Amino acid sequence: MSKTTQAPKALRGVGNFIDDRFHLAKTGEKNLRKVFPNHWSFMLGEIALYSFIILLLTGVFLTLWFKPSMMEIVYDGSYERLQGVMMSEAYASTLHITFDVRGGLLIRQIHHWAALIFVAALVVHALRVFFTGAFRKPREINWLIGVAIFALAMVEGLFGYSLPDDLPSGMGVRILQGVMLALPLVGPYVSMFLFGGEFPGEDIISRLYMLHILLIPALLLGLIVAHFMILWHQKHTQYPGTGRTDKTVVGTPMFPAFAVKAGGFFFFTFAVIAGLSAFVQINPIHLFGPFTPTSITSGLQPDWYMGFMEGSLRIFPNWFDLTIFGYALPTAVLVPGLVVPGLIFGGLAAWPFIEQWITGDKRAHNVADRPRNAPVRTGVGAAGVTFYGVLWLAGSNDIISETFSIELYVSTYIFRVLAIVGPILAFFIAKRVCLGLQRRDREMLEHGYESGTIQQLPSGEFIEVHKPNSDGMVDILESKPTITSTALADDADTDDKGVENPEARKGSGKLRRALARWYTKDNVSFDDVEAHSGHHLHHSSHEEEKEAAH
Amino acid sequence: MKWITARRRHPLAGYVVVILALALFGVGYAALAPTAEQAQAQTLAADAPSQENVDDVDIANGEDIFNQTCATCHNYDGSGTYDENGEILRGPDIRGVGAAAVNFQVSTGRMPSMDPDAQMPRKPMAMTEEELADLIAYYNAQIRTGGPDIPYDVPGEAPERSSFEDEASYEAALEEYENEYDSYLEGADDTQMGMQLYLTNCAHCHGWSGGGGALTDGRWAPEIHDATPRQIYEAMVSGPGAMPIFSDGAIEPEEKQELISYIKTLQAEPDAGGIFDLQRVGQVAEGLIAWVVGLALIIACAIWITAKQRAHD
Repeated sequence: MSKTTQAPKALRGVGNFIDDRFHLAKTGEKNLRKVFPNHWSFMLGEIALYSFIILLLTGVFLTLWFKPSMMEIVYDGSYERLQGVMMSEAYASTLHITFDVRGGLLIRQIHHWAALIFVAALVVHALRVFFTGAFRKPREINWLIGVAIFALAMVEGLFGYSLPDDLPSGMGVRILQGVMLALPLVGPYVSMFLFGGEFPGEDIISRLYMLHILLIPALLLGLIVAHFMILWHQKHTQYPGTGRTDKTVVGTPMFPAFAVKAGGFFFFTFAVIAGLSAFVQINPIHLFGPFTPTSITSGLQPDWYMGFMEGSLRIFPNWFDLTIFGYALPTAVLVPGLVVPGLIFGGLAAWPFIEQWITGDKRAHNVADRPRNAPVRTGVGAAGVTFYGVLWLAGSNDIISETFSIELYVSTYIFRVLAIVGPILAFFIAKRVCLGLQRRDREMLEHGYESGTIQQLPSGEFIEVHKPNSDGMVDILESKPTITSTALADDADTDDKGVENPEARKGSGKLRRALARWYTKDNVSFDDVEAHSGHHLHHSSHEEEKEAAH
Repeated sequence: MKWITARRRHPLAGYVVVILALALFGVGYAALAPTAEQAQAQTLAADAPSQENVDDVDIANGEDIFNQTCATCHNYDGSGTYDENGEILRGPDIRGVGAAAVNFQVSTGRMPSMDPDAQMPRKPMAMTEEELADLIAYYNAQIRTGGPDIPYDVPGEAPERSSFEDEASYEAALEEYENEYDSYLEGADDTQMGMQLYLTNCAHCHGWSGGGGALTDGRWAPEIHDATPRQIYEAMVSGPGAMPIFSDGAIEPEEKQELISYIKTLQAEPDAGGIFDLQRVGQVAEGLIAWVVGLALIIACAIWITAKQRAHD
């Protein structure tokens, strides 16, 4: 901001009043001028933040009328079709919000759509961070916080879905209880404790309500604030480019440019969610009817973010169910219900540390990787996405079977095979694509980019004219790091006096070396490449050799 | 330079080609794939709608229809076609299924079937109402040994314009039908009972909204939106395909009325939540929309507001 113009007197007065008391001018200016790198993928987390804000606001509105009670009443509200039907007060009050509270249905639908988009934004944000290596030191803690937010958001969504006590929510709670019962030894006790007796009991709605509106949102809010404070302190990562190093950030200042963009972006996010809510019906609980333990329906799924759990339950075979001393150990529920999500979330949380252990890289990274420049990580990510995606699809296998006329059992077997083969294929394909892109980068760095212009030489030969890359492009291409691991360094096995390193002889040391080899072996070397030194350029219309700008 | 030459390297050219190719395949498939309507027209081309009175049934005509369209699989005496091991060859014994089953199968277009091994989808009826009445009369007179009757007090198909000579008599018949339909549904006033019966007995295959669902062995529970109350009733008492029989002893006629009224009222219910109801598929469709419409639009906006002009590419 320019310092030559003076703020209006009224504003100055307010500013001085605040500054005299809180001494905010200095920190304020520093923070307002904070630089934000300009790239769309850095806005993904903001989508999650904005939908969370929308969720908080609409959630407060809904609590004004919602009654978290399982007391059975006879409905006599304004929704004529269900008059005279026995239902819980929770369901009746949701009908009241839907039909009698002005704007109630719209707010309910905004709340639901915002929840779906909130978790979806979390996922794409996490994928961006993963594939660009933005979780590396110094950001491991923030990555862990992010994983915790993701897990909590799922549980929060599940509980919110269960509150209206309509048909699908009751079925969702029933599945939750089934997974709980599968726990060895403690299962029935955990279930009896949560439900205050047998399913469904009379307590579960009020307990889920407390968790949904108090405990989990408070945890989420705290974690989100921590996430942002750490982000603010550590600053954004940035993609490689001119002037961008681990020590300098290039981008737009927070105020005014970024603030305007972010503010506008909030309204756009809100507009999309509100638009969906106004025109697309979501979770029409008044059509479903209230839940009773005898009711069941086909074709109902949980909200999308629980889909992978549903899918793993559906496709995991019961071949490993055991009975030990007369006690059943239902692995067909236990493994998909607990081990699979444990693997996914545990794997997410552990990956930064696994990667650090393999590479021995203890440096701080503020420049993000281009996904192609870390082919093994990208491959692992693609494998994880495929595994999750297959489970997620399997969660809707009945809808898929019906829509595409595939036999239900055949679809189950297809998903079983895909869940194992898919990730392996995805790993190799993604890695090969990365290496191919690396080769293309190398080619582009050496020869310039393909201009699309075909030229005929005096000899009659046709060539495509390659043109020199812009300086910015050269900087991006030359930024490719070579992935190395300390486990493969010359002195990793023996020190300079020839003494064997005891760490390297142990099993874990050998494993680490094997993993390090796997992690680093595929690399297209750029070492001997000088920008625009390739022969194609000599034919180009721009004859002058451009020196690579650094 | 030709028009196409100037544009084929356009950044959007690839997308245009893909869209054109997809459109070509889609239209081509739709044009070439045999439709159910064509297949039926081949078997029953000879029957033009007749104008005779429905009460005036012609058993001889019914016999002709039976021998031409049914007997190939169900045999001339309705005893079905079986191999030496007692396995059904083409069609089962229909002597004991009752007139309700015949009316259900034929009026929903499932019979006559093109492929005895496949589950038949609902189609427009392959014969006229008069021919069906003749067929049923013949079936009752010559073939039937038992089974449930057609529930004539439950409203069936709406009258069709083509069976009436003038507009006035059609209007009168339609109004009479609609009155009958409404009074049948309104005669049920215990939503609680209808809902419980439907959600306990029907929804685990046909879905909460009657939208249908997948079953085992490649079968499916059909959508029942188009089924008339009489067809739903007949399906319950005759148990077509994989469906169990819900006899009048198990679920009494009054309870069936509550059940049918529940599902028909639910289906007629407007979508309060917005003009797009996603076919009432539910969470799978909602998740899809959240990703491919909601999130995609927001990300497109993020790309838009952070875009800057690059030097090249």
